[in-house]
Amino acid sequence: MNAQSLDKIRPRIAAMDATPAIQVIVQPLAAMLQLAPDQVDLEKVVELVSYDGTIAAHCLRMANSTLFGRRNTETVRSAVLALGLKRIEAILLGCCLNQIVPPDKWAFDAVIFWRHSLGCALVSRKMAKLIGYPDPEKAYLAGLLHDLGMLVNTLACTEDFRRCIQAARDGHVALHRSEEELLGFTHCQSGKILAEHWHFSADVIEVIELHHSVTATLTGGPLVSLVHLSDLLCRLRDLGYGYYEAMGVDLAGDSAWAALVGHYPALANVDLARVTMDIDGAMEEIVAVVDAIFKP
Amino acid sequence: MSREAGSRDRWEDIVEASIAKPVIEAADLKDPAYLKIRNVIYQVSGIYQPEEKLYLLAARCARRMSVVKAKTPAEYLEFLTVRGNRDAELRLLLNEITIGETYMFRSPLQLEALRNVILPGILKAKSAMGFKRLHLWSAGCSTGEEPYTLAMFLLEESEKMLAGWTFDILATDLNENSLVAAKAGIYGEYALRSTTELLRRKYFRPHDDKRLQVSDQLKSVIRFERVNLNDDSKMTFLKGMDLIFCCNVLIYFDLNSKRKVMQHFYSNLLPGGYLFLGHAESLYQVDDRFHLVHFPGAIGYWRPPVGYTGGGKP
Repeated sequence: MNAQSLDKIRPRIAAMDATPAIQVIVQPLAAMLQLAPDQVDLEKVVELVSYDGTIAAHCLRMANSTLFGRRNTETVRSAVLALGLKRIEAILLGCCLNQIVPPDKWAFDAVIFWRHSLGCALVSRKMAKLIGYPDPEKAYLAGLLHDLGMLVNTLACTEDFRRCIQAARDGHVALHRSEEELLGFTHCQSGKILAEHWHFSADVIEVIELHHSVTATLTGGPLVSLVHLSDLLCRLRDLGYGYYEAMGVDLAGDSAWAALVGHYPALANVDLARVTMDIDGAMEEIVAVVDAIFKP
Repeated sequence: MSREAGSRDRWEDIVEASIAKPVIEAADLKDPAYLKIRNVIYQVSGIYQPEEKLYLLAARCARRMSVVKAKTPAEYLEFLTVRGNRDAELRLLLNEITIGETYMFRSPLQLEALRNVILPGILKAKSAMGFKRLHLWSAGCSTGEEPYTLAMFLLEESEKMLAGWTFDILATDLNENSLVAAKAGIYGEYALRSTTELLRRKYFRPHDDKRLQVSDQLKSVIRFERVNLNDDSKMTFLKGMDLIFCCNVLIYFDLNSKRKVMQHFYSNLLPGGYLFLGHAESLYQVDDRFHLVHFPGAIGYWRPPVGYTGGGKP
């Protein structure tokens, strides 16, 4: 890591708080996400979702998607009741985060970013359920936020980050590799700073920091391994960053897989080819939902 | 995704031409069982029929319903989902649905994986042992679209990464009619829909007003042969393969036959070689010696070299 480069972006991370949606929604939401469901005030969540008309509409669009198994939810209150507090909080957070990046600041296609993030959230939740991970909604949230640092990089060092993306695209390599080379730090490190600044929970911060550091995950919690594998699966099924990454991955030979099997032996019995086909099957709806919400 | 979109056009053409026996009553199409059958087909094959095109699905089901003597779509759905022979019936329905569906360059991301990841690895390993020849096998080649695609792909690489290398492609099928068509190598617009103008000019010659025939150069790298994948005596001798392609063939086999074929394929492959199946097929609980390897938009089954202990990236 290049500490000097990373230090330069710290003030810009603090400046992100100036976005109205962050002050009014994300900061109270981040605190709320740490609470157990029975401690969350339903009315407060309805209020947060309703604060911004556009955000409320986006939340309803997602809540009505078949991806979440619900249809014809017409009011914010019924969406909150139908989906459950944890899920609506995660959906709200995704919708708000999109607002922190002005349209001219995106170093890459925002729609591609959100397809990957939503895809990773859904795959993480699915894998969590398959293996018996006790909190699938936490897995969803961690999947959604794992690349938070890319929002930081696109805001804090737009042009340099554009060069990273171009280099990754030209070399068919993973983005964090070109970030290391050209920025001196990766979205994992910058994302961690923002996640700590917003007081996200420790396990989500760990996912944001370590999802590309497979060996480090061996000492981390199972959530890191889970999101690491989901992230890989998404990048391998056209839910990556919109360019060809030349890779062949034996997921079951990955050390994150071994770590996760240690925690959840049921993983050894997951038909990965079928999971892959399911991702392909859900692709159309993921693309439709993200496009409806995030396409300018 | 191109396969689904394309198969819809083709499916429509074929059915429009042959439809009406028996006639599907419009009221029948409202039967929700058709939607369920549609979903079953989609899950298995990726082929999706929108509701306005359900009459096409109904026409295909009608043929099978008359054979199995199912009186209603709901009863036929049971044949596909709960009865003991459901896998066999699904195969037969898929057979009806996928007639003439195949075309060249149907899996471009599989070719990208070959170009960017798989072949560089295999060439490196074989070079280190002093070998300069590749052996590919299209097992279940149908009317030849797959082996000719592979032949074009390899010939295009012969001046690049395959410079100094030789290769051969074995193309086998059980169906003699298919093999006759494959050897003739005459294709219409449907089979060539994803073949670029450049490749058409390079590897084909005009046959008649509407069709092209493959060049002798393309034919020269392929050996067509009738092989029954259930024939142990034949399968035992097909050794030394670097890559085996067996797409949408195992779907016609029961579990025991699949296991037997997989045992053969494992032996037929060189260590470090890959097996490719159809995009909706899985070896889960069929064979656990192959490693499932993901590439962008493609998956392959890898026979690891001796001493492989994992590590995520073959």
